Amino acid sequence: MAYSNKVLDHYNHPRNVGSLDKNDPNVGTGMVGAPECGDVMKLQVRVNPETGIIEEAKFKTFGCGSAIASSSLATEWLHGKSVDEALAIKNTDIVNELSLPPVKIHCSVLAEDAIKAAIADYKKKAGTKSDSVAAQ
Amino acid sequence: MWLRNFIFSVNGYYELLGIERKLSLDVAELQQRFYERSREWHPDKFARKSEAERQQALDMSSQLNDAYRTLRDPVKRAQYVLSEEGFDVGEQRSRDVPPELLEEVFELNMALEELRGGDETAKEPLEAARSNFERMLEEVDLEMGKLFAAWDAMPARETLAELRGLLNRRKYIQNLIQEVDKELAPAA
Repeated sequence: MAYSNKVLDHYNHPRNVGSLDKNDPNVGTGMVGAPECGDVMKLQVRVNPETGIIEEAKFKTFGCGSAIASSSLATEWLHGKSVDEALAIKNTDIVNELSLPPVKIHCSVLAEDAIKAAIADYKKKAGTKSDSVAAQ
Repeated sequence: MWLRNFIFSVNGYYELLGIERKLSLDVAELQQRFYERSREWHPDKFARKSEAERQQALDMSSQLNDAYRTLRDPVKRAQYVLSEEGFDVGEQRSRDVPPELLEEVFELNMALEELRGGDETAKEPLEAARSNFERMLEEVDLEMGKLFAAWDAMPARETLAELRGLLNRRKYIQNLIQEVDKELAPAA
């Protein structure tokens, strides 16, 4: 199967590969996977607590080219977005941007799940943080 | 045609082969049943029969083949029973995979990546990694046998849910072994 040029570009030059300190209270971590193809995807965001803007996004994916491209693109898009804007990213946006064929749509779903999981993790941390502040 | 579909949809693989619906199977017995049934429905025996009967014999033979091939393999058998019991075994999404498993698979992949692309010195640790994964696979299979026995003794849904989790783990480990083999294979 031929990959689109955009997929190849992300695959050969993945953006924002790496990791953030998952113990940082402003960092949200999303870890998702698809057992059928053996993929695992970790996506992290660092949110500015004052502005609610995502200032940094990193990923590390073990999987096929489409899974790597989907998560690489996701981190690019997350940069500078608010948490709510990030949650509005749909897998179909990724499919369209990368021209993913139907058999690779699940890779974009995985990336959307990873974004949602990372944001949920950040919100959970932010929630417990303000609770503990309020309790003091 | 509709009648044929009806018959096949009612008869699961176990019924088709005339064996008890258990997860732990005696493969020798399964094979014997398969041979018996296949002889009964052998298309040669239907050569002088009507077109409809010949077609039925062909259909039965192919169904029997599918049934045997599915049930003789423990993993395929487990997947078959899981799907019959309403578990989604194909297109699972992340929410069904326990986070500890993802964490573990991620770490194993990271370790593998460090060994990868190395020179000859990476060969030994890669082989060590491979035998480690093989050992994990053996443990999974042992655990699978236990869950089979548990479900046969008492068909509880929790057991099947556990089984599905185990099959996911198995798939991930198999994948890691494939990745190691890719590294160990001499460059083409």
